Amino acid sequence: MTSPSEQAHRTQGKDVGLTLCPSCKQLMPHAENHCSRCGSILALRDYSSLQKSWALLITAAILLIPANIYPITIFTSQGHTRHDTIFTGITHLIDLDILPIAVILFTASILVPILKICGLTIYLLAISFRLPISKKRLMVGFHVIEWIGRWSMLDLFVISITAALVNMGQLLDARPGPAATAFALVILLTQVAAKVLDTRLLWDRLESKDDAN
Amino acid sequence: MKLLTEEKCADTSVTLCRSCDLVIRKRALPSSVRALCPRCHTAIYDAPYCSLNGMLALCLTALIFFVPANLLPVIELHFLGSIRTTTIFEGAMAVANQGYWVVAIAVLTSAVIAPGLLLLSVLSQILIIKYRLEVPFFRDILKRLLKYHGLLSQLTMLEIYMISIFISVFQLRDYTDIHLEMGTFCFAMLFLVTLFLQREYHLEHMWSLLND
Ligand SMILES: [Zn+2]
Ligand SMILES: [Zn+2]
Repeated sequence: MTSPSEQAHRTQGKDVGLTLCPSCKQLMPHAENHCSRCGSILALRDYSSLQKSWALLITAAILLIPANIYPITIFTSQGHTRHDTIFTGITHLIDLDILPIAVILFTASILVPILKICGLTIYLLAISFRLPISKKRLMVGFHVIEWIGRWSMLDLFVISITAALVNMGQLLDARPGPAATAFALVILLTQVAAKVLDTRLLWDRLESKDDAN
Repeated sequence: MKLLTEEKCADTSVTLCRSCDLVIRKRALPSSVRALCPRCHTAIYDAPYCSLNGMLALCLTALIFFVPANLLPVIELHFLGSIRTTTIFEGAMAVANQGYWVVAIAVLTSAVIAPGLLLLSVLSQILIIKYRLEVPFFRDILKRLLKYHGLLSQLTMLEIYMISIFISVFQLRDYTDIHLEMGTFCFAMLFLVTLFLQREYHLEHMWSLLND
C-alpha cells in the first residue's frame, strides 16, 4: 500500500495532460502540437529515440576497437620513430615519470569512453528489457555520463597542439595516427547517443514497484 | 479535461522534470540554490537571478580576450636554436594538413567556433532584451538564439583546452625547452570570464523574458 502523499509524489506529466517543450522547457498541454512560445514540435514521448540511441552506441562501440589498436600519435625523436596507441602512449608517460598526466590521460582517453559505452548500454538495456535496476541509480549514472563525456576531447587537443609545435623532420616530429579519427568519432557518437535519448522512457517502462529505489 | 489542462498550464507553480516527467510543485528558492527532482535528482530550476548589465560586462570582456586568445601564440618551443610557436587555430590546421580533418573540425568547433558564437549570441540576446524586445523581427531572432544556446554551450570546451595546453607543456619538456606565451594568458582570462558568464546566465529566465 502506498500513502496518498507518495501517490501524489509519483504523478507524471502524461497523467495530467501536460508536457514540457523539449527546447524551451515551457509547460504545455499535450493536446497541442507546437509550443506556443518557441514553435518546437511537442512529443509526449519519443519512442524512436531508443532505436537511434542504440544505433549510435553500437557504432561507437565498434569504432572503439580501431581507436585503441591503431596508433594515435607517431612521434619521431633523433631519427627514431615511435607509434603510440592510446595505451602505449600512457605507459610511455609513466616511463617518463609524468605520473599525474598519465593518470589524467588514462581517465580521459580510456576510462571515460569505456565507462560511457558500458553505462549507456546498461541504461538502454534497462529500458529495452525492463531490467530491475534502481532507476534512481541509473539516472544519476546517466547525468555523470553526460557530464564527463566531453573530457575525452583532452587527448585530441593535446595531439593538435603537439603536432603544430613539433615538426622538425628527423630530429623531432609528432603527428596524429589513424586512431585519432576513430577516437574523435567515438566521442561524437556517444555524446549524441546520450543527447537524443528520451530519458522519460525509463520511468514509464520499468516496474513501478521499484519506484522507491 | 481541456479546461483543466489549460488551467494547469497557466499555473506557474507547477513544472515537470525533463528527465522523468514527474510533476513538481515549485517553491521559492533562496538565490544560488538549485531545486533537484526528488525522484531522479535532475536539476529542475534555480532562483532566477541574472543581472543583464553584469552579463553584458562579462560578455564584452570575454569578447575582448577572444581575439588575442586565438591569434597570439599559446606555446613557444626552443629546439636547437630554432623557435616555434603555435596558436589554437594553427594547432587545428596542423592536424587537418596531415589528413585528420575530423579531429581538426572537433578541435576548431569546441575551442574556437562554439565559444565565439556563444559569446556573440549572448551579446545579441542581451542587446535585444535591453533595447529591441518590442520589435517582432528581433523577438524572432532572440527566439532562434535561445533555441541554439544549449547546443552552443555544450560544444564549448574552453576548460578542457586550457588543461591540454598544460599537459602538452609537461609532455614536451623532456625533449625541448618550452614556454607558455601571452596567448595562454588571454586564453585563461577568456576561460575564466566565460565561466562566470555561464554561471550568471539562465536560459529559462531568458525564455521567460519573451513571455511578457
Ligand atoms: Zn518551446
Ligand atoms: Zn525527475
